[in-house]
Amino acid sequence: MTATVSPSSAGPMLRRGRSGEDVLLRVAVTGGALAILGMLATLVLVLFVAALPSMRRFGPAFLFSSEWRPNALPVLKLDGHGHTIRDPRTAMKVVDHYRAPAFGAGASLFGTVATSTWALLLAVPLSLGAALFLVRIAPVWLVPFVSFLIEFLAAIPSIAYGLWGMFVLGPWMGGPARWVRVLGMQLPAGIESRIGALAIHVPGLRWICTTSVGGKTVLVPPTGRDIFVAGIILGIMIVPIITAISRDVLRSVPREQMEGTIALGATWWQSCREMIFYCRSALFGAILLGLARAAGETMAVLMVMGNTAAVPTSPFMAGTTLSATLAGEFPEAATSDLQRGALMEVALILLVMSLVFNIVARYLVIGKWQPSAATAH
Amino acid sequence: MAKKRDTRAHLASHLMYGVCIAAAAVIVGTLVLITGYLLAIGLHSLHWSFFTNLPRSDPPGMRNSIEGTLILVLLASVVGIPVGTAAGVYLSEYEVDSMLAVPVRFVCDVLAGVPSIVVGILGYELLVVPAGTYSGWAGAMALAFIMVPIVARTTEEMLRLVPRSYREASIALGATKARTIVNVVMPSATGSLVTGAMLAVARVAGETAPLLFTAVGSDFVVHDPAKPFPSLTLRIYELSNEASPAARAQAWSGILVLVALILLVNLAVRYFTRRRVAR
Repeated sequence: MTATVSPSSAGPMLRRGRSGEDVLLRVAVTGGALAILGMLATLVLVLFVAALPSMRRFGPAFLFSSEWRPNALPVLKLDGHGHTIRDPRTAMKVVDHYRAPAFGAGASLFGTVATSTWALLLAVPLSLGAALFLVRIAPVWLVPFVSFLIEFLAAIPSIAYGLWGMFVLGPWMGGPARWVRVLGMQLPAGIESRIGALAIHVPGLRWICTTSVGGKTVLVPPTGRDIFVAGIILGIMIVPIITAISRDVLRSVPREQMEGTIALGATWWQSCREMIFYCRSALFGAILLGLARAAGETMAVLMVMGNTAAVPTSPFMAGTTLSATLAGEFPEAATSDLQRGALMEVALILLVMSLVFNIVARYLVIGKWQPSAATAH
Repeated sequence: MAKKRDTRAHLASHLMYGVCIAAAAVIVGTLVLITGYLLAIGLHSLHWSFFTNLPRSDPPGMRNSIEGTLILVLLASVVGIPVGTAAGVYLSEYEVDSMLAVPVRFVCDVLAGVPSIVVGILGYELLVVPAGTYSGWAGAMALAFIMVPIVARTTEEMLRLVPRSYREASIALGATKARTIVNVVMPSATGSLVTGAMLAVARVAGETAPLLFTAVGSDFVVHDPAKPFPSLTLRIYELSNEASPAARAQAWSGILVLVALILLVNLAVRYFTRRRVAR
C-alpha cells in the first residue's frame, strides 16, 4: 500500500488541477491591477474629451482669462460721442451686438494658488516643528498619544472643517474688532480687522487690507468668508499630512548623522538643522503632498470662500478656487455645452495639477521610504 | 569672540526648542478646539428624534440620510474592497518589480491623491449623463473609485509583513501558489487587511464632494440606488446653506454623528493593530 505515485503518471493531472486555480487567481488579481491603470486612463480620457469644446474655443488663454460669463452680454450701440442710442419708439437702449459667453480659469487658478500659499505658510512651520518635537523632544510615552491626535485630525472629514470654518472661525476672523466669550474665555474676534488696522500703517503691507474701487484705494470690510480664512482652514487640514510624513522622514535619518553633529559640539538646533538638511528633498516631498491636498480640497473651501468669480486683490476678499468653482457651478451647467466644457477643463486642470504634485512628491520621497496610501490622505 | 557666538547659538537653540514644543502644542490645541466645539454644540442639539425622524417631519431628523450613507458605503465596499484587495495581492504576491507592477503601484499612489471632486465629475459623466438621472449607483461607484487605491496599497503593505517562511513552508508542503495565498498568506494577515478596509470605509463615509453630482441627496427614505440618494454629508452641506438656527443645529448634530463614527473606526483599528503587534 505504499502509494508511490510516479511523477510521470500523476504529474500532468495534478498540475492541470493546480494550474486551474492558479490561473484563476492570477487572472483575478491581474484584473485588479489592470483596473487601477484603467481607472486613471478613464479619468484622464473622459475629462479630456468632455473639455474639448472649451479647449477648442478658448485655447491656452483659458488659463489666464478671469472672465466667467455663462450668459451672452449685450453691447450697446453708441453714437459718435460715445453715448448710448435710444430707440425712438420704445425708448429702449439699442443693442449693437451680443458678446458670446466666455469662460476662463484665471480667477479660480489664482484662488487656488492664493489659498494654498496661505495654507503652506501656516502649516509648514507648524508641521516641521511638531515633527521635530516628535522625533527629538517628546518623551517615549507621549509620542503615540500625540501621533494619534494628529492622525485623528487627518481623519476628520472636510465638511466638518467646512462647518467649523463657516460658523466658528469665520465669525472670529471677520467683522469689526470686538471681544467674544468662547467656552468661558474672553477672546478677541474680528481678527482680520485687527490685522488690517496694523497693516494699514506699514507701507509694504497695505495690499492686505485694501482694494481699489474705481481707481480709489479703499479698506476691505472683512466678512470672515475670504481667501485668508480658507487658507487657515486648509492649513489646519494639511498639518497632519506634512507632520506624519516628515516625522517618518526625520526618523529615517541615520543616528550617526545626529550623533556626529553633537560630537562636533553643535547645539540642539544646529544638529536639527543638519538633520533637516540631510533629508531636505524628502521633506520637500512631504510639503508637496500637503500642497496637493490643499489644492484639491473642495468642501471646506467652498463653505468658507464666499465664491465670487472675480480675482480678489486682498486676502480679506472673497474668491473662488478650481474645486470650489466646480462644486458651485456644476449643477446648473448641464444646459450649455460650452459651460460644461469649461467646467470640465477646470476639472482637467485640477487633475493635472494634482498628478504633477503627487508624481514629483513621490519621486522625491521614494527610496528613503514609501508613503502609504493611508497617510497620503 | 568665539564664546559670544556660542552663547548666541545656544540661545537660538533654546528658542527653537521652545518653538518646536509650541508648534506641537498649537496643533493639539487646535484639535481640542475643533472637537470641543463639535461636542459642545453637537451634543447640545442632538436628540433621539435625530435618528428616527425625516427631514420634513417635526422635529426634523436625519434617519434617511444615515441609512443612505450606510447603503452607499456598503455598495462602494462591495465593489471597491475586492478590486483593491486583488490589486494589492498582485503587487505583493505576484509581481514585485515587473513591467506592470511598478506603474500600477505608482498609479495607485497618484490615484489616492486625485481630488475627490474630480472623481465625482467622472461619476457624473460616466453614470449620471447616460442614465439621465442622478443615482445612488453613481454615488457608490464614485466612492468605490476612491476606495480602490487606498485598499490596494494597504493590502500590499500588510501582505508584505507576512514572513516569507510562511509562503515557503506552504509551497514545500505541496500547496499551489493560489492555495498558499488564499489559505496561508491572507488568513495570517486578516486582522490588518480588515483594518485597511475599515480605514478606507471611514475615509469615504466622510466624503461629500464626490456625491454632489452623483447621489445629490434626497429628503425621503430611498432604498433604490437607481434614484437620487440621500447621504449624511450631503444633508449637512445642504443644511449649512440654510440660515435658520434649527438647521444649523441639525448640521452640527450630523457632523457629531459622522465624526463619532469615524473616531470609533479609528479607535477600533488602533485597538486591533496593537493586539496584533503585541502578539
